[in-house]
Amino acid sequence: MVSTLVPAIGFGIVTASILAVAGVGFTLQFGVTNILNLAYGDIMTAAAFVAYLVTSAGLSVWLALAAGAAFGSVFSVLLNRFVYTPFVRRGTRLFGMIIVTIAVSLIIQNSLLAIFGANFFSLQMPRPASVTTAGMVFTTAQLGIIGIAIAAMLAIHLLLRYTKLGKAMRATATDPELARSCGIATDRVIDLAWAISGALCGLAGVILVINVTSFTDTTGAQFLIPIVAVAVLGGIGQPYGAMLAALVIGIASELAAAIFSPEYKDVVAFVILVAVLIARPQGILSEVATGKEVAA
Amino acid sequence: MSVAWQFYISTVLVYLGVDVIACWGLNLQFGVAGLINFAFIIFQAAGAYTAAVLTLGPAIPAAKGGFQQYVGGAHWPFPLPILAAGVVGGLLALLVGSFGIRRLRSDYEAMVMLVVSLIATSVVTNQVGLVNGPNGLALVPKPLASIVSLSPIGYQWLFVGITAGVCVCVYWLVHIVTSSPLGRTLRAVRDNEQAAAALGKNVTGLRMIAFVLGGVIAGISGAILVEFISAWSPGSWLYPETFVYFTAVIVGGLGNNLGVMVGALLVPVVFLEATRFIPQFGPPGFIDALQWIVVGVLALVFLWFWPRGVIPERRRRFPPAAEGEEAQPLMPAKAGR
Repeated sequence: MVSTLVPAIGFGIVTASILAVAGVGFTLQFGVTNILNLAYGDIMTAAAFVAYLVTSAGLSVWLALAAGAAFGSVFSVLLNRFVYTPFVRRGTRLFGMIIVTIAVSLIIQNSLLAIFGANFFSLQMPRPASVTTAGMVFTTAQLGIIGIAIAAMLAIHLLLRYTKLGKAMRATATDPELARSCGIATDRVIDLAWAISGALCGLAGVILVINVTSFTDTTGAQFLIPIVAVAVLGGIGQPYGAMLAALVIGIASELAAAIFSPEYKDVVAFVILVAVLIARPQGILSEVATGKEVAA
Repeated sequence: MSVAWQFYISTVLVYLGVDVIACWGLNLQFGVAGLINFAFIIFQAAGAYTAAVLTLGPAIPAAKGGFQQYVGGAHWPFPLPILAAGVVGGLLALLVGSFGIRRLRSDYEAMVMLVVSLIATSVVTNQVGLVNGPNGLALVPKPLASIVSLSPIGYQWLFVGITAGVCVCVYWLVHIVTSSPLGRTLRAVRDNEQAAAALGKNVTGLRMIAFVLGGVIAGISGAILVEFISAWSPGSWLYPETFVYFTAVIVGGLGNNLGVMVGALLVPVVFLEATRFIPQFGPPGFIDALQWIVVGVLALVFLWFWPRGVIPERRRRFPPAAEGEEAQPLMPAKAGR
């Protein structure tokens, strides 16, 4: 039993790393802009395809990571500038924005399908060696993923705690009106929030497909299940909560995969989501209760 | 009219009927009650599986030549599987609503529903014993086919009649709900939740009623569809399918039953059938992908230019108090006035 559970915890840490990057990006952008972006998973897939193109051209995986993150960042900013913000300015409220984001999600997903076709893809990279630590077996690629996630989380922590931008972001997340009155250029803060969250999203897309053997146009959309679970468990808009939640859900889902069967991975994330909704929905009260509307 | 054309037109009419029924169900939830149910398609799927299993009869084990496995097979006579599908759709809505409809912000609610849809597909695909996993159910006997002796084309038109009959019943139901005080209260909850709650309306309970009724109607639409095409698999109810219905409701006119009917005619039928007549090009799946892109763009265009749809919801006016006639006191001061 233990012999299967310890390696499962190892896998759990890898999954948690990917989830942490994706979940923090998702929740950070949501906290600042108050737009729930259901296209997030599909931007991850698009970044994965960018990385696929880079590695297929014979360039290194590191370059692919950078390209994926840059793509996610630029794409998210443009998406907000040219689609989401105009809709908000035109008076589309939360109710309509959610339809806008899912429409964008379908458009991205099917554009990828139209361009690349319905195949399985995998990144071209050197076969990684395996390393055994404390009964857990990692490939060097997986160790890289863990390292990248830790670095990204540390960077987000430093950004939010110790920079003016981080402070401005937290202020905008708490009360955009008040932040604007205090002389914070909320427009710029929101742009930067999309840029940072987009970079995390792109990075998460690439490390997700480094970890799995193959991916398709729906890989990112499917990954939305644990991302949403992480965001809700961590408290929507709470980056630190998301980091912790990623660890919990990552390890719990891999343990379930080892004990029952791999199909139960997402089910665990789902059960946690439902449990939070039933037991502790305070963090996610209705818009009337919280009095928040979309910011743009 | 040649037989081929009759066949095609009758088939499209049945699809139209199914889409109209489903859109009315979604409109009750989305247009009238303001619930963004991105899991709508799973209620249709639940109804379809229920009707299929209750028509197929007990599952034959693989050892005896059975090729599909499922739970709870039975041979129920014709209208019963469809009614059972409605019941199952409603019960599933009650279950999902018990954690999904909790006075959440509408966008969180939508996100939770989307996750419900994704997880339902993954569970049904992986639990092969439940309803035959990814291959789905096939060879569902056609209703009444063994009783009435009709030519294939005659049977097609019989089915069109059955679908039309169900459409009338469902329209009657949604019309009663939307024009009753219940419908008015639901719209009040949609437009101003706080005000409705302040007037003592049970907001969550009311939304739950709309959610369950929508689930029942979705289940019935699935049942009609599966009895007609006699096969059903997870491929037919992926979450983007829900989005087609959302687009139809938005294009037709949120909250307006007639508008929604037009939307169901325009989006799933005219729009998606039209591509049948353009020559195939590109690799396999290319046209499908383009179709989805166009549906997404269509939704965005309508939300931008005509967010109220082609036939907007009727603005309900109530006669203002006449000149000099102040708001009447609840209890007259003098009985003889």
